[in-house]
Amino acid sequence: MKRASIPLGLVFSRSGPYAMMAREMEKSALMAVDEVNQSDAFDFTLIPRLRDPGGIVPAYHTACDDLIREDHVEHIVGCYTSASRKQVIPIVERTERLLWHPARYEGFESSDNVIYVGAAPNHTVVPLVKHMLEHIATDVFCAGSNYVWTWETNRVLREIVTSAGGRILAERLLELGEGAVDHIVREIIERKPPAVFNTLVGESSYVFMRALHAASSRAGISIPMLSCSLCEPELKLIGSAASVGCITSSAYFESIEGPENRAFVARWKVRHGAHSNPSVDGQSTYVCVMLLARAIRRAGATEVAAVRRAAANLRYDSPQGPVWVDPDNNHCFLTPRLARSVPGCQFEIFWEADAPERPDPYLSNLDLAAIGAKAATGNETKRSNHLRVVK
Amino acid sequence: MTRPSPFSVRGRRALMVMRDEREIAIVRRQLNRLGMTTAEIDPTEVPSPDEVDVIVLDADSIPIKSDPTTAWRVNAPIIALIGTETPSRLKWLLDLQPASFLIKPLRSAGLYTALVVAFDAAQRRIEEAAHVERLEDRIRSRRVVFAAVLQVMRAHALSEEDAFALIRQTAMRHRTTIEQLSAEIIAAGGMPNRTSRTA
Repeated sequence: MKRASIPLGLVFSRSGPYAMMAREMEKSALMAVDEVNQSDAFDFTLIPRLRDPGGIVPAYHTACDDLIREDHVEHIVGCYTSASRKQVIPIVERTERLLWHPARYEGFESSDNVIYVGAAPNHTVVPLVKHMLEHIATDVFCAGSNYVWTWETNRVLREIVTSAGGRILAERLLELGEGAVDHIVREIIERKPPAVFNTLVGESSYVFMRALHAASSRAGISIPMLSCSLCEPELKLIGSAASVGCITSSAYFESIEGPENRAFVARWKVRHGAHSNPSVDGQSTYVCVMLLARAIRRAGATEVAAVRRAAANLRYDSPQGPVWVDPDNNHCFLTPRLARSVPGCQFEIFWEADAPERPDPYLSNLDLAAIGAKAATGNETKRSNHLRVVK
Repeated sequence: MTRPSPFSVRGRRALMVMRDEREIAIVRRQLNRLGMTTAEIDPTEVPSPDEVDVIVLDADSIPIKSDPTTAWRVNAPIIALIGTETPSRLKWLLDLQPASFLIKPLRSAGLYTALVVAFDAAQRRIEEAAHVERLEDRIRSRRVVFAAVLQVMRAHALSEEDAFALIRQTAMRHRTTIEQLSAEIIAAGGMPNRTSRTA
């Protein structure tokens, strides 16, 4: 029996400022496409149609316009930054196409023509800040890249921290790609905050973590660092010593136990090499393609309205665990996890939610009073021992 | 004073502080259709406050940590173009006090409504500011009125109520305000001459 061919748009910037992450995502999408195409469980073949906007924001609009007009795609997997997604939304809304968006983002959006497979803010920043308040510190120093992800993540952080009686000691921002971090490192070493919340992205973050690690070692101190975006390939780029000990919130780590992830990691290593590691955004891109393929199969059609209906509440046992689309807001139920980066460029998971958590892109269900009350118990002991001397 | 109609936008001058070429094209075309003149500056530049009746500002194009109260403290009403609805961005926007807004993606429809709302809001703001100034003047002159009442109470052996009634009636008769007459009472050290007819 001949399988039907379904064109699938893939929009990732193989060049430009976040090319490293986007290449990981494209690799993962193509891996999922091959698995679907080789599987007897699907009676169609996905034909990938690749576009590279080169990290240029308006080029995303052109790329998707092309895909829709020339390649007649109904579904597009892609985008990494919110700026690029905002370029694509008007065109998918106007032409009734569907964008499958893999990356975590800051929330406060809910388009009928986007399936948000990446984590919502209640999956990332909220559990991380809760953990910080209950186990590390109530006062925190923020270092971040000067764009929407940092602004919004820090706002949520500030709301939760101040409602728990803590303080934002400083909020230092660097332009995207900026590598001059010495003034921030110097300030941190001088002020010795009980925790550093790092929302720097890309090269800025790697330079910052290396410089802070070196300066802390010289000063003989160790300051806990928290992140909602660090992933395994980045740990390698940062270097084994400087990347250790960062408390990271994510829906996916390579070290997740469970047969689905073990098999996924094994297939990944066969395809990309034993020293290659999947990342949260890569895995999420893989999940996008798999959710789409399952929804097309269930719908028996590629038409957007039918696929969207079919995708609603369709549970997929993915590498990161069970995932399904909440039809109320087109975001996904995901399992939040917290891990500590350890030697060997891996993460050791020390907490995960009991079950996949309903997405809350507008943080409408954030109960500040409850978090504050819980954090208030035992704060005093925490304040006294927040600085650990390195032996 | 005749109130300028917010519905007549012909001839008014718009400054577009935007970056996206497609959006600029949409706004420029629509403003020209409405008979308005347009000028453009990049969001990194600071607008000069004169020669502008309305500013169309792409809120997403300006870093949130830049201080809206210094660079953007211009008198012209601002129409904010909004793509990102995060509270951090909206808080920045509130400090800018936009007179109206449009949600992206932009279309030709909607801009006229945004302009009318912006011009109307700006006019109301001017009128309210003038009203507040008048009220503040009256509050400031309460001290003067109170001093005048005391003086009249002493000079004419009147109760406070009667002294105030006398000042009010005199002010009405001479077609002046209570505040103005009170200032004259204090300056003259008693009811000024023209009040002798009432005594």
